[in-house]
Amino acid sequence: MARLMDMGLDRLRSMILDMAGLSNNTVTTAIDAYEQGKDVRTTIFGWSEELRLLQDEVSELAVELIARYQPVASDLRFIKSCMEISYGFSRFGRYAHDIADVLGIFGDLSTCDKSMIHKAGDQAKTMVNLSIKAFTERNVELASKLNEMDDIVDNIYMDFVKKAAHNPGGDLKCTVSATLILRYLERIADHATYVGDSVLYIVSGERTARK
Amino acid sequence: MMPPSSKARRYKDRIAFGLCVVCIAIAVVPLVSILVEVVANGAPALSTEFLTSPPGVIGEAGGGVGNAIQGTLILMGLSSAIGVPVGVLAGIYLAEFGNNKLGHSLRFLNDVLAEFPSIVVGILAYSIIVATTNIGFSIGPLSIRFTTGLGSFSTIAGAIALSIIMLPVVTRTTEESIKLVPATIRDAAAALGIRKWRATVSVVLSTARGGVVTGVLLAVARITGETAPLILTVLGSNLFFTGLTHPVDALPLRIWRLALLPYDYAREQGWGAALVLIIIVLTLNVTVRLVTRGRYSMVRSRI
Amino acid sequence: MTVELQIETVKPANTQAFEAAGQGKTLGPFKMQTDKLNAWFGQNHVLKDLSIKFRENQVTAIIGPSGCGKSTLIRCLNRMHELVPGAKTTGNVLLDGVEIYSRRVDAVTVRRRVGMVFQKPNPFPTMSVYDNVAAGLKLNGVRNQEKLDQAVLNSLKRAALWDEVKNDLDKSGVSLSGGQQQRLCIARALAVEPEVILMDEPCSALDPIATAKIEELLTSLKEQYTVVIVTHNMQQAARVADFTAFLYLGQLIEYGETTNLFEKPEQELTERYLTGKFG
Repeated sequence: MARLMDMGLDRLRSMILDMAGLSNNTVTTAIDAYEQGKDVRTTIFGWSEELRLLQDEVSELAVELIARYQPVASDLRFIKSCMEISYGFSRFGRYAHDIADVLGIFGDLSTCDKSMIHKAGDQAKTMVNLSIKAFTERNVELASKLNEMDDIVDNIYMDFVKKAAHNPGGDLKCTVSATLILRYLERIADHATYVGDSVLYIVSGERTARK
Repeated sequence: MMPPSSKARRYKDRIAFGLCVVCIAIAVVPLVSILVEVVANGAPALSTEFLTSPPGVIGEAGGGVGNAIQGTLILMGLSSAIGVPVGVLAGIYLAEFGNNKLGHSLRFLNDVLAEFPSIVVGILAYSIIVATTNIGFSIGPLSIRFTTGLGSFSTIAGAIALSIIMLPVVTRTTEESIKLVPATIRDAAAALGIRKWRATVSVVLSTARGGVVTGVLLAVARITGETAPLILTVLGSNLFFTGLTHPVDALPLRIWRLALLPYDYAREQGWGAALVLIIIVLTLNVTVRLVTRGRYSMVRSRI
Repeated sequence: MTVELQIETVKPANTQAFEAAGQGKTLGPFKMQTDKLNAWFGQNHVLKDLSIKFRENQVTAIIGPSGCGKSTLIRCLNRMHELVPGAKTTGNVLLDGVEIYSRRVDAVTVRRRVGMVFQKPNPFPTMSVYDNVAAGLKLNGVRNQEKLDQAVLNSLKRAALWDEVKNDLDKSGVSLSGGQQQRLCIARALAVEPEVILMDEPCSALDPIATAKIEELLTSLKEQYTVVIVTHNMQQAARVADFTAFLYLGQLIEYGETTNLFEKPEQELTERYLTGKFG
């Protein structure tokens, strides 16, 4: 039995999916471009801005649905989670934007060792992918897998920073830029787990503690 | 240019309307003509003497229907005093507690009584209250014998007969008015922890009082004009009221006697008495109209 | 209703739900409770082994689709159900731990302790505002004029109606607006000093502003009384009730703190009802 609100919920869902695809592209492009030393700032800036606008639209639609239909139970949880998830996707865009910016600030970084970044970057890309999958499939197992993968990215980041702190020396440009990139990748991974948490909330109403 | 079928329908409509008007006229004409006759013939007879003095010597002009008016009013009052309390209480019982076999039987009996020919009621009153009847029966060695009846025509017999005629009307309209009180009112009273009989009297009856009063007034208006039972119970008299156990005069009886006399003055006085009677009945009915504006109009139609 | 075909068994709520709900808050005892309550209208079995508890000084809402037995349940709580010809109940209903259907208990006394406000405002039409509020006392034998005056004043104040009618106490009860009439009925119920107030969809015949006034009133009433409100408006339950019970086909499906029930109901049936998929 179709309800009046279902149309609004469908629109909300499709907007989230649009954001999902776009943010996935944005993150992947930014990471790959960094590794290859390509300047993709204009494209990434454009996509990131689009994501921000989409997030505003999602917010507005969600509030309108709440005001009009006074939803409860799973509907309310879904709308609330959509607001959180859209924020997460817009954050993906923001951090992709920041990653793309690094090359602009530091210029040529082709001599730096990017192996750690490559590892972390792969993880981050997979996590963004998985978070989107968790949402579309309402899959809570993927959500818990995201938590494990987040630990890996956290460890890569922490190890690199500790090493750099205790062994100063080497190319300052490489160290700083790599720190920044790993930081952004770590944040992307964190937001991917938050998306997973929101999916858990939609399905079961449980809230997990933020680390 | 209208289509032919529509024109035919308009024609039929007009003819039907015309027929209705004719029927109404046929129904109204007798009523109007009676009123006109009574007023035209009766008005000249009205005078203070006419309204206050008893009949004079037969054959001579003079005298009036003073005692008949007094008798009618006394009979109306007495029969109401008997019929109204019994009828209202019976109506309350049937409405509030009468959803059982006993209630259904009582309701049926009540409806039968309402259709009784009034002369039969008169005969009943005659045989029990007017005529002396010796009733006796013996069971083995015991024998009981008693006499009912006063042995004479009396006011009380007339009052009782009229109250019997009045009773079913009052019962029915009281029951109907009480049933009209919405169930939510009763629910509210019950929810406050008010006992049922208290709620019935103070809340339900109070809410239904308009309808009950209407029923009573209409019943009284009806018995004012009853003649047959009076013939058999009060007989009529030329004197003012002398006592409950003595005969008394009443307007319908007086009209009847006056109409049978061959004298002109008698005829005139008869019309005058008829006019007075109609005035009394009309006054009661107009009062009912004023009281029932609105909610209790349904009660009126049940008489 | 097609829903019945899809639900294999309707599982009544776990009776520990009553204790579990409201954990972590200081709550009073259970003022009223039913134990395996069954109610019939003639052959129609309306309530089926219904066991439910109501906490003292809290507002409990009862929600459910039409015909689920909500009104019948509260009418059993003040012994009004038995006034309907052909009605029957079995099972226990306890008020402060005492069975109210026992032969030694007078139904009239129960109704003075457990008051009721109805769906359509029903002030006594032939009485003034004052007489309406005093009716419960006057018609139960209270004659002391001072006592009556005091009771009328207090009840009208508690029902948030005093300021609007204090100069018109002699006006007919039915001359007030719909919302005022309903508050008059609440005042009338309060005047007999009940301990529990039952409300059967009290706002369904009122406009939104009148509804809002009565909802505000409910939050203040619970300080002194235990309130049970039947409502078909879930948002109203969400606004006013501390605890909510969901009834379906005469059985208690779920009971819990309102915020929990409306955010994540445990039973699928509750979820479907709340999201408007049936009823």
